[in-house]
Amino acid sequence: MKKITALLMMAVMLVSLFAGCGKSAQKNDAKPENTSEKTTEVAKNTESAKVEKIKIWVPTSGKYDDIDAVMAKVNEITRAKIGVEVEFCPLQFGQWFGQYSLLLSGTEDVDIMANYGGYLNAYSQGACLDLTDLLNEYGQDIIATEGEYLKGGMIDGRQYAIPIYAAYAWNMGLIYRQDVVDELGLTDQVANVKTLEDWEPILAAVKEAKPDMTPYVMNTGATASNFQYGTWDDLGNNYGVLLDGGKTSEVVNLFESDEYARLCKIMYDWNQKGYSSKDIQTQTDGFGTLTQNDAAFSTLGQTDFNTKFYQTTSIGKPIGIVMLGDAVGRTYNNVTYTVMSNTKHPEACMKFLNLWFSDTELGNLIKYGIEGTHYVVNGDGMAEYPEGQDANSCTYHLGASVSNTVAIRWVTENPDYVKLLNDANSSARRSVALGFAFNTDSVTNEITQLDNVRAKYQTGLETGVMDPDQYLPEFNKALKDAGIDKVIAEKQAQLDAYLGK
Amino acid sequence: MKKKNLSSRLKKYWPFYIMALPGLIYFFINCYIPMSGLILAFEKYSVSGGIFGSKKIGLQNFKFLFSNADAWIMTRNTLLYNLTFIVLGLVISIMTAFLLHELKSSLSRKVYQTVILFPSLLSVIIVSYLVNAILAGDTGFINNHILIPLGLEPVSFYSEKKWWPFILTFVHFWQMTGTSCILYLANISAIDTSLYEAASIDGAGRWQSFTKITIPCIVPTIITLTILAVGKIFNSDFGLFYQVPMNSGAIIDVTQTIDTYVYRGLLNTSNLGMTAAAGFYQSVVGFCLVFFTNMLVKKISKENAMF
Repeated sequence: MKKITALLMMAVMLVSLFAGCGKSAQKNDAKPENTSEKTTEVAKNTESAKVEKIKIWVPTSGKYDDIDAVMAKVNEITRAKIGVEVEFCPLQFGQWFGQYSLLLSGTEDVDIMANYGGYLNAYSQGACLDLTDLLNEYGQDIIATEGEYLKGGMIDGRQYAIPIYAAYAWNMGLIYRQDVVDELGLTDQVANVKTLEDWEPILAAVKEAKPDMTPYVMNTGATASNFQYGTWDDLGNNYGVLLDGGKTSEVVNLFESDEYARLCKIMYDWNQKGYSSKDIQTQTDGFGTLTQNDAAFSTLGQTDFNTKFYQTTSIGKPIGIVMLGDAVGRTYNNVTYTVMSNTKHPEACMKFLNLWFSDTELGNLIKYGIEGTHYVVNGDGMAEYPEGQDANSCTYHLGASVSNTVAIRWVTENPDYVKLLNDANSSARRSVALGFAFNTDSVTNEITQLDNVRAKYQTGLETGVMDPDQYLPEFNKALKDAGIDKVIAEKQAQLDAYLGK
Repeated sequence: MKKKNLSSRLKKYWPFYIMALPGLIYFFINCYIPMSGLILAFEKYSVSGGIFGSKKIGLQNFKFLFSNADAWIMTRNTLLYNLTFIVLGLVISIMTAFLLHELKSSLSRKVYQTVILFPSLLSVIIVSYLVNAILAGDTGFINNHILIPLGLEPVSFYSEKKWWPFILTFVHFWQMTGTSCILYLANISAIDTSLYEAASIDGAGRWQSFTKITIPCIVPTIITLTILAVGKIFNSDFGLFYQVPMNSGAIIDVTQTIDTYVYRGLLNTSNLGMTAAAGFYQSVVGFCLVFFTNMLVKKISKENAMF
């Protein structure tokens, strides 16, 4: 015992000794260089007053090897127009979800964060800066473009996030290999597919003709649930949803709904018939990777009027879609940008977001890279990969944009994209809960337990590996025990308050 | 020890203190300074408040660890797997070390040691894919090259619970035996060979010299390593229990441990307070267990106790 105390004291003494050393050394060093240091500091200060540097973190599935060259060009524009220098820190999607929590904790060097799958976690940790005043002062272009959809980034009437301006209206849909459909002569049959049940004969035909191609796979592998983008409005998490894209404001238990049971039954049927792999619940690669290797034919996912283009270009194979129902504008957009609450440059962040929202040249640069090097503009005024390059060989194609309207169109896109997007967004039916944000603070314990119950059943049921007749009731009982009713009641109360009932 | 004041001890032993210094500094920076972060377990973390300034909420963060039916399952799994690993690990690593030591040719000893050690150098992700290549339903080795050719029903391992306690135990030892037997091997090599010679003159066989000489000589190491392992009995190898079963839901009842529960529960909510609470709970229980095990050892044989 004495030995230990002695050792500890020794350690304490030595540490204080070292601390002392450090201080005196600093003093000695500081004296002679004092004046020169001060002058450089002053110089730095005036420079940073002119140009503020901000860091923005985004996930991507594209290439960014050449990012330094592109950023140099980006900063020429931003320095001149708003006096801001921006540094993009991209992460591949697979890495992103592991790093996101760390980036949110406020201990990293982050000014602007991209949020995929909602920003409520960021908000509940106090990581989102209240942007309401900044937006009114510096964000006029954002307000003009987004209109009512800005609500998708509001909590209690305050603006905490800037939703990207993209297709707000979407629905669950089938995503499939168009060239395979054409090759097998199924084009007309596919055109008549309206429901998930109609898809079965197509899968049967593909299984017959292409034994090496799995007819149905999960969209992102086992990392996300199979029905992540469902026909319902999930109100931030799946515990309590508005069925049918939010037609009424009645919050119901998704997992007890007939719709959910129907979907699970279909998946079970498909798995039994061998349209999906026996190992589907441990599938590690996403639809994109599998399709690039001709190993998958179709999947379920989020579809809107532009999915076909997006999937075709990012995967590099002809892709078609069948939307299962009409597109609906949901509670809040999946993708938003937030400014970290501990940023030192809030104005610069807002100015940059606004410029990115409105400056086509900047939009092109960030999205596609440098003209002539990473993309070229063809005779019709559309962008494409330079001669001899494709999605795999081009050294920059970040694909990130805060508003899809401020870049020229890619060659495979509809030339009228901007008009179509604006039409779709302004004409689509909107969920009654548009702009509602669920505050989970009072039910964190329940949600933690519910997430564990979901981990046990959801993937198995939604991929059809588990028999819904047996396991769906078990799942629902476990959810009840974990307190799903309390969460739903809380959600309903908050939604009613939001709607002013 | 006779009473001596610090300065005289310093005078006499100062080279040893200097030698200990880097280690002490390392421990202070890496193990003691971060302990202040434990305060997170009692807070609702917010970015503006930081680690020390966030709102204090008492024990609320600990609630989720105890307030459900899964609490029992995850605690049971963690404890039982760790007990198995400790007890079986003792037997397997000592036997492996002894057998390696018995090899006369140093070349073959090196070859075997390398082979046994190699799996522990693999990342758990690679291990999980190796296991997947063996167990998968459509493409796996066991199903396609053993069961089906033999005319047996294929097994879907990732949805059947009963196999996993064995699979996980096997994978654990396949991966960890190499490193855990090194200490014992070093210990056994250090035993004075004249003891064995004397024993063989007295007519002792291999087995007798193993039980009468080898084991008693390495008892202090066994006790130290076991006490250390007991201290980690509430922790689990996250990679083994999350990655190797490929996060398959159907087998969660036998693969869920405290660490995976915390990960699954907080993956979507990124609640730092609750994560810290879980770590705090594991450490406190671990500390108590180390303490009690040591007391027990002290009662049985005083000279072998750690402190």
